[in-house]
Amino acid sequence: MTSIGTGYDLANSIFSPDGRNFQVEYAVKAVENGGTSIGIRCKDGVVLAVEKVVTSKLLKQGANKRIATVDRHLGVVYSGMIPDGRHFIDRARDESRSWRDTFKTPIPTADLASRMGGYMQAYTLYQSVRPFGITAIVGGFDSELEAAVDGVVGSGPSVGAGGKAAGKKYGGPFLYMIEPSGLYWGYYGAATGKGRQAAKAELEKLDLGSGALSLLDAVKEAARIIYVAHDDNKDKEFELEMSWISGADGPTKGLHQEVPKALREEAERLAKKSLEDEDDDDEKKEDDKMQE
Amino acid sequence: MDHRPQAWGRPRDDVYGAYDYSYLQSGGPKQMTQSPVVTGTSVIGIKFKDGVILAADNLASYGSLARFTDVKRLRVFLGTSVVGFGGDVSDMQYLDRHLNELAIDESYEGGGAQEEHGEKGKLNAANLHTYLHKLMYRRRNDFDPLWNQVLVAGLDAAGKPHLSSVDLRGTAFTSPSLATGFGAALAQPIMRKYAATEEDAARLTRDQAVKVVQDCMKVLYYRDARSLDKYSIAVVTKDGVELKEDEQLEKQSWAFAEQIRGYGTQTV
Amino acid sequence: MAMFSQNPLMNGPNYSFSDAPKTSAPEGSREHRFDPYTDNGGSTLAIAGADFAIMAGDTRLTSGYSINSRHHPKVFKIGGTTADQHDATIVLSVVGFAADGEALKERLDSICKMYRYRHGKPMSVKACAQRLSTILYQKRFFPYYAYAILGGLDEAGKGAVYSYDPVGSYEREQCRAGGAAASLIMPFLDNQVNFKNQYVPGSGEGHALQERERRPLSRNEVEILVKDAFDGAVERHIEVGDGLQMMVITSNGVEEILLPLKKD
Repeated sequence: MTSIGTGYDLANSIFSPDGRNFQVEYAVKAVENGGTSIGIRCKDGVVLAVEKVVTSKLLKQGANKRIATVDRHLGVVYSGMIPDGRHFIDRARDESRSWRDTFKTPIPTADLASRMGGYMQAYTLYQSVRPFGITAIVGGFDSELEAAVDGVVGSGPSVGAGGKAAGKKYGGPFLYMIEPSGLYWGYYGAATGKGRQAAKAELEKLDLGSGALSLLDAVKEAARIIYVAHDDNKDKEFELEMSWISGADGPTKGLHQEVPKALREEAERLAKKSLEDEDDDDEKKEDDKMQE
Repeated sequence: MDHRPQAWGRPRDDVYGAYDYSYLQSGGPKQMTQSPVVTGTSVIGIKFKDGVILAADNLASYGSLARFTDVKRLRVFLGTSVVGFGGDVSDMQYLDRHLNELAIDESYEGGGAQEEHGEKGKLNAANLHTYLHKLMYRRRNDFDPLWNQVLVAGLDAAGKPHLSSVDLRGTAFTSPSLATGFGAALAQPIMRKYAATEEDAARLTRDQAVKVVQDCMKVLYYRDARSLDKYSIAVVTKDGVELKEDEQLEKQSWAFAEQIRGYGTQTV
Repeated sequence: MAMFSQNPLMNGPNYSFSDAPKTSAPEGSREHRFDPYTDNGGSTLAIAGADFAIMAGDTRLTSGYSINSRHHPKVFKIGGTTADQHDATIVLSVVGFAADGEALKERLDSICKMYRYRHGKPMSVKACAQRLSTILYQKRFFPYYAYAILGGLDEAGKGAVYSYDPVGSYEREQCRAGGAAASLIMPFLDNQVNFKNQYVPGSGEGHALQERERRPLSRNEVEILVKDAFDGAVERHIEVGDGLQMMVITSNGVEEILLPLKKD
């Protein structure tokens, strides 16, 4: 690496002459070694999924969850250094709680992403700290009902001053990805970690921007993509962990929840099947070639 | 222009005389709730075979003024328990927000789909009641009471119906049927006819229990001057909470009013 | 003009001197203050025997004329190793303000538990009795409004009953009634347990009368006394009734008995 020995990579808050912060770039390297995580924003919800690499046979199956609930309607998954991720989640929970304390209403996904982006960025500024070794994917469903106030007692005027705005659209599903530099964008599909290239290629095929994909299909796609992304890393075992968030009228009633076991297993079965089919196709093609 | 901010917005001394600054004193002992302001009246609850029913009307009164007429006094906790609030409405809102926070803390653990762990909702109604009891008793010890009497409805750890009460002094108790405020005098005798003991309550069907509660709400509307004919009713069973917040009292008959003697305009 | 309106004029000539409305409350005091106490009624009773003690209480919980609950125990096993108190050796009864009573019970229970964990043996009733007094006295200026009675077996295996006032003054006694119907039950106990005012017939006149000799009562006799005492109290006191809870402490442990009382 060209930077080694130049001294510019030894601390935060020092730019290299060509305008790079090497500490941040090393943090990105830490992320690139972590298990793949992805998020899908679809028509009626958000799905988060992570490839949890099994580091020891002594770990209990299904324990040590990697996807966290931050507020009722918010979930976070991340790739990279797990302790850093844990701290990120603690902070995200504090942020959403303090938002509720001041505004008496749930924090919108965009605002949480903004605050957490700011928080991550602050860790690129000072000598005394290092950047977060994670890239986090934040998924949320902001209530599509009129913005509720915590502890509200009545329903307010139905029309007129202070009344409801007719035809106003509230909330919806949102997805953000925050990188070690503090950079964050909103996405339809986000992927990070070891298998991100393959995962991104698969996500792009889904045409998420058109809003055609349903939440249930998104769960199945998410499982498949994690399996595809894992393909290059076949020697290691992994567990699939998935969570989802729908609107108030959907299966999770606006809450961030783990995908039910039955649905997850079904999605995994389909994912494995689709991988096998692909392998068969490949073999067939190769056979064809041989014959030629 | 008077450049002293203390003088802004005050009556002019030359017109009204010297301003009485004693109103502005911030020293002295800390003031705490000494009495309720905007209040809700009775909450009633009864156990039945597979759960509990809770009801409260949708009125918040400011003294004798019917101030807010669409107030939701039954609050769902974690989708498995209901808390019904009588007494001060602002203290109710404080408690509601506090319980909301507690529920979010609960959702961190387990992170959803709890059926996989074989335990649905870790904090049950009995736990919630204990928590509220300690909270209310603590506040009375601090001489800063939360001016409420609340009913907690749901299931206990064994999956049996749970109905209990806590008041502003931290007095906590359970019973097959419970009522706060006027309901203790007007509704409780009616409910005890149907659910005098736990065994009686365990024989009541859901429909029977709903009917009893509806009758009680009607009696309360007839005789409690701080009540309303719009009310909320919640049915809690192992399947969750069914909450209806816009119920209307039906088939009222005020014929009995003619029979009442002793006050009013009658001469005989 | 105001004096001719329907509304009474404060400090005006509407009233005779005797029923004039109070002028505004003296500076600093408020008309309506929070009263942290109520009386939740009910009655308790404890009798010590030669090798047993019986603690009893009714299960009614009242506020004013309302019955809040027909089954709200005020007699508790204390200091067992687990929450179900299956191996408890001491029993506490509390009557007065129920919330304070419960808080007191929980404090004493956790202290007894801590003692058990630290010393590997249950607390003696004597030590527990002294500790309870300390707890009550520590809150001398904001007392637990509860009349406590502690029961168990002493080091010699004899029945022991300790009774308390709300600020921790205590005494070991043969028997004690507490709560709403204490004044009804206590004289009955004086007569029936300590044989007060019972004399040997024909033993003399006036001061020469010989007192009936005291003897320890059997468990069966005491149980009957307790039931009779409560049946009497129920009849004459509105705050007593619904259920009778009895804890019998013997060297075999604590046995709990629940009996019905009149519900009117």
